[in-house]
Amino acid sequence: MAYLFQIDCVRYACSCGSLKSIAKIYFCRHCLSIRCGYCVCHEVDSYYCSNCLENPPASEVRLKKYKCSNCFDCPCCFETLSIRSGQVLVKSLHTTQEESKPVTKKIYYLSCTLCRWSSRDAGIPDQTVATGSWREQESPNTYRITALINFYKILGSIEKQQKERKKFQSKRIFLQFEKFGITSTMARKRVGQLPLLQSNTQSDQPQPSEASEEIEELSQDIFTKSIDITKITTLDQRLQHPELQVENINELRPQRKQFIVKRSQRCRFCEHTVSKPDYCPTSTKFKIQLAAFYHVPELRIVACEPLRLGYSSELLLKFCNPTQHQTQIILLSMDTPMMPTTTTLQGIKEEINRENVQMGCDSPNLLPSAVRQAIVVEEGRQVNIVINAEVILPSSSFILPPRDDAAEYDDPSDSQNSQDDPKLVVWRKGNKAIIRLDVIPYVDKDKMVKDEPIVVGLAMQYGYINTIATLEHKAPQKLDLKVKLFLTLGNLVHNIL
Amino acid sequence: MSDLMSPSSRRFNIKIGSGALVCEEAILKGDITIGSHTVVHPRASIIAEAGPIIIGEGNIIEEMSTIINRISPDDTGTPVQIIGNYNVFEVDSTCEASKVGDNNVLECKAYVSKQVELTNGCVIGASCSLRDEEVVPENTIIYGSQCHRREMNDKPYPQLGQLEYLMKMLLGYHHIYKPNMPPPKTESST
Amino acid sequence: MLRSYEGTRYISDKQVIVLDIGSAYTKYGYAGETAPRGIINTEIKCPESRELRKIYSYKDEDDLYQLLVEFLHMIFFKCVVISPKDIKIVILESPLIPSKFRNTLAKVLFRHFEVGSLMVLPIHLVTISTLGVDTLLVLDVGYQEATLIPVFEGVPILKAWQALPLASKAVHESITREMKTILSETESTEKLIENIKVRTCFVTTMERSLKLETDNPFKPPPDVKYYTTRTFEIPGSVREKAFEVLWQRDNDNLSVPTMILDSIIKCPVDTRTQLAENILLIGGTVMAKGFASRLKTELLYLLNSELYKEKLKIKTFKFHTAPSKPNYTAWLGGAIFGSVDLPSRCITKENYLELNRVPDWVNLIDNRKDEASNTI
Repeated sequence: MAYLFQIDCVRYACSCGSLKSIAKIYFCRHCLSIRCGYCVCHEVDSYYCSNCLENPPASEVRLKKYKCSNCFDCPCCFETLSIRSGQVLVKSLHTTQEESKPVTKKIYYLSCTLCRWSSRDAGIPDQTVATGSWREQESPNTYRITALINFYKILGSIEKQQKERKKFQSKRIFLQFEKFGITSTMARKRVGQLPLLQSNTQSDQPQPSEASEEIEELSQDIFTKSIDITKITTLDQRLQHPELQVENINELRPQRKQFIVKRSQRCRFCEHTVSKPDYCPTSTKFKIQLAAFYHVPELRIVACEPLRLGYSSELLLKFCNPTQHQTQIILLSMDTPMMPTTTTLQGIKEEINRENVQMGCDSPNLLPSAVRQAIVVEEGRQVNIVINAEVILPSSSFILPPRDDAAEYDDPSDSQNSQDDPKLVVWRKGNKAIIRLDVIPYVDKDKMVKDEPIVVGLAMQYGYINTIATLEHKAPQKLDLKVKLFLTLGNLVHNIL
Repeated sequence: MSDLMSPSSRRFNIKIGSGALVCEEAILKGDITIGSHTVVHPRASIIAEAGPIIIGEGNIIEEMSTIINRISPDDTGTPVQIIGNYNVFEVDSTCEASKVGDNNVLECKAYVSKQVELTNGCVIGASCSLRDEEVVPENTIIYGSQCHRREMNDKPYPQLGQLEYLMKMLLGYHHIYKPNMPPPKTESST
Repeated sequence: MLRSYEGTRYISDKQVIVLDIGSAYTKYGYAGETAPRGIINTEIKCPESRELRKIYSYKDEDDLYQLLVEFLHMIFFKCVVISPKDIKIVILESPLIPSKFRNTLAKVLFRHFEVGSLMVLPIHLVTISTLGVDTLLVLDVGYQEATLIPVFEGVPILKAWQALPLASKAVHESITREMKTILSETESTEKLIENIKVRTCFVTTMERSLKLETDNPFKPPPDVKYYTTRTFEIPGSVREKAFEVLWQRDNDNLSVPTMILDSIIKCPVDTRTQLAENILLIGGTVMAKGFASRLKTELLYLLNSELYKEKLKIKTFKFHTAPSKPNYTAWLGGAIFGSVDLPSRCITKENYLELNRVPDWVNLIDNRKDEASNTI
C-alpha cells in the first residue's frame, strides 16, 4: 500500500532529523544509526559520459576539462547530438586525366534528433572522421586572460615573499587589493603621492586596458527593420555558451557534453562508506549499499478506517523483518530516549555509548584515528511536523521471524504464532506480521481548521544483531535500537450530522 | 467504422490512386481522394466532414492519426482540404489544416488547427500544437514544450525507404482497399 | 624573477571553484579559466514541496540553509562535478549582501560540505583584475539592483557607494505591465518576459526617449511576432519603452546615470577625472542593446544640467571593455584572483570552526588597523 506511489506515507526519522521514506535512508552498521543523504558526506567516485559511457580516470577527466571528447550537446535544444554519416562525390585531384571518375567519400556531420539542428546549419564543414576532429571554439580572450593571470600570480608570490621579509623592510603593497576597503581619507593621502609603480614587475605587467570614449552606438536599423524572432537565440541558448553568447541562431556551435558522476557516500561520524557504486558506468549495482531496508524493519500501512475527530479508528500496520535474525518489536511513545540499549547476560538493561559499540574501528582499511580529521558537526534539522492524532500503543511486544527466502515457496500453514497476543497481531506469514492499533485524532480546534492530513508518530524498538564483531571473532552483540516513525494517514472524514 | 455501410457504398466516395495502400481498418468518412503510393495505416482516420479531402502522393498516415476537414461556422461553400505529397502524419497526430504542402512531418501528438496553412518542409514536433491563424513558412520546425521555432537548413527527406518497407509489410498482414482510380495521365503518357 | 611561471599554466593539485551567486543567475566555473562553465538560474526545486524556489526568496535562516544545501549540492555534483570536501572555493559577493546570507552561506560550505578554505571577494574590487588597471568606477546592473563602488588605486572608496533598485527586475515589471493586455497573468512568466526583453527590446536613444511621452513621438519600431505555445505580437512601443524605467528619475531625482555622477561627487576632487575616465559596466542588464551609448548621452547631458553644472568639472567619460561578456565579468575577476595562491586572504576550515564567523567589513573586529597591515 503505502509504498510504490505513496512513498512518503511512512517516514523514518534520520539521526540528523530529516524525515525520509525507508527507501531513501541508510543504516550505518558501524555507528548503528540511521543516516540519510543529508547527513552523509558525498564524494565523487567516478566520471562518465552519459551518452557514450566512456569513463576515464579522474586525472584524465581534468585534462579533458570535465567534458567528453566525442559527444556533443545540441546548442539549440540541449539534447545530445548524434553523428550522421553521408556520402559525397569527390573529384579526385591526383589523377592526371581530366575526366577522372568521381570517388565517393564518407563524410560525417552532427545532427539533433529533436530539433533537427545540424552542424551544416551552423556552417561547420563536414568531417571525414566520425570523432575527434570537431574543433571547439577558442575563446577570443584566452591570450589576454592568461597574461593577466600570470601577472597576478607573480604579484601574489611577491606579496608572499614580502610578508616574510616585512619586519625588516618598508611596507609597500604590490598586489593592490585591500580587502575591506579604506576610508576616503586614505584614498586622499594616496593621491598626492607618486603612483605606485612596480618598477621591478613592470616588464611582466600586461598592457593595462585602455578606456575609450567611443562606445558602440545603437544602430539606427533597429527603429525600422523588422526582426524575425525565429532567427534570434533565446537566453538559455546564449547562456549555454557563456563566452560568446551569440545573438543569431546560425552562429550557435555544438558544446561538448559534460561528464556526469557516480557518487559514493560516507558516514560522517565513523567515515565508513554507506554506499559505493560499481565503477563501471553500465552497471547499476553497488559495491557497498548499506540501505536501511536491509537492516531496519519496514513498516507499511495496510488499511485505516475513516478518521473522525475524537473517535477511535482501526489502523492496520504491516511489519517486515529484512534481516537474517529474529527480532522483537516494541512500539513506544515518541518521547522515549533514542539511545540504543543492550541486555547483558544478567538481564540488566544498559545504554550503549558510541565507545562501547563494537565498532570494528581497527579494520585495516580505515585511517588511524589520529590521522582522521575532526568530525565537523552540523546542526540537526528540526522536525517540523505536527502530530495531530494519538495512537493507543499496545502493551505487549511481538516477534518477527528472520527472513527466509526459501520460505516464500513453502506452504503457509504454520502462520500463527501461539505466543502472539491475538488482539494485537491479526495476520502473520514468514517474516511479516500485521498488527492492529487504534488511532484517535486530537480534538483541537486550532488543528481542525487546517485541512491537513492526520499524522501519527510512534517509536519502534527493534532487535538488531551487530555482526561486525563476528569478523573479529567475538560474539555478536545483541542490541535494541529505536527509530521514530511518522505515518500520514489521510484526511479527516467530516461528520455528517 | 460504420458497420451499416457496405464496403461498396463506403468506397463510393473514396477514390484511391494506383499503388496506394489503404488498410480496411482505417476509418474513412466522406469524400476522400487518396493519391498513389500513399500509405494509410489501420486505425488512422480521415474524415471529410465539411467537404472533400484530397491527399497527394507518397504520404504516410500512421495509426491513430486524424486528418479531418472540420465543419466550422464561418465556412462559406464547401471547403476542400488539400494535402500535398510525401507528408508524414505520425501516431496520434491531428491535422485540420486546410492546406498542407509537401514534405511536412507532423510528429506524434502534434496538432494543427483549421486556420493554419502548412507550406513545404515543415516539422511540427511531438506534442506541439498550432492553433492561431497563420501560414507557416517553408522549412520551419516547431519543437519542445514551449513550441520553439526555427528555420531549418534542409527540409526533411521524403521517407521513400519507409514507404517501400510499409508497402511490403502491411500487405502481408492487412486487408486493403483496392485502388479504384486509373493511374494519372502524366504517368501513363510517359 | 619568477619568469619560469610564464607560459606554462601551472596546474595546482586542487581545482578552485569560483561561484558568483547572483540574485537571478549563478555563474560557476574553475579558477584560471577564461569563462564560467555555466550560468544557471539561482533556484532549486525544494525537495519537500517540489516547487521551484529562488534562493533569495528565503523565509528565514533555516530555510535559507536548506535551500543553499540543495542548491550547492546540485552545483557540486551536477555542474562542477567535484567533491566539495577540502577544496578551495572563491565566492563573489556584493558588498551590500545581507550578513545573514553570507554567514549562512559560509556555514553551509564549512559545516555541510566541509570545504577546505573560502575566499570571499567583493565584486566591484575584484573586477579590476580583468583589466589590469587599478582605478575603476564599477557599475554593476544586475537583477535586483544596480550598485556602484569606485575603486581608486586598488582601494574601494566605500563612502561613495551607490545602490538603486533599478535593474532587470524593474525592467521585467515594466514589460509585464505593458504586455498586460496581450499576455494573461499566468502566461507572463518571468522566463517569457525575460526572453522578450533579451530577444526584442533595446534601450532607445535619449532623443527619442524625450519625445516618447509627448504628443508626437517618433514612429515606433516594428512590432515583433513572438511564437511560443501561442502566437502574439509585441508592439514596437513595448520594445522601445522597456528600459525607460532605468533612466526616469524618481522622486529623489535618482536614476542610473545620476548614480555615477553622485558617486563621483562624493569622491575626493583629485580622483574625479580619473574615475570618470575609467568606467566599467558589468552585470547582465548592461548587455542590452544601446545601454552604454544611452548612458553616455545621459551623463553628458546631466553634466550640463543645473544639478551638476556647478559641482562637477568633468569633460569626458571613458569606458573600459573587459575581456569577457559583462554578465560574467565579476566572475572572471574572481577566476583570475582565485588562481593566485593567497593563503592569507582565505578563511580556512580550521579557522572558521574555531571562530564560527566570517570576517566582514562592517564588523569592527576585522577593521582594526593592526600593526602588520601593509598600508602606507
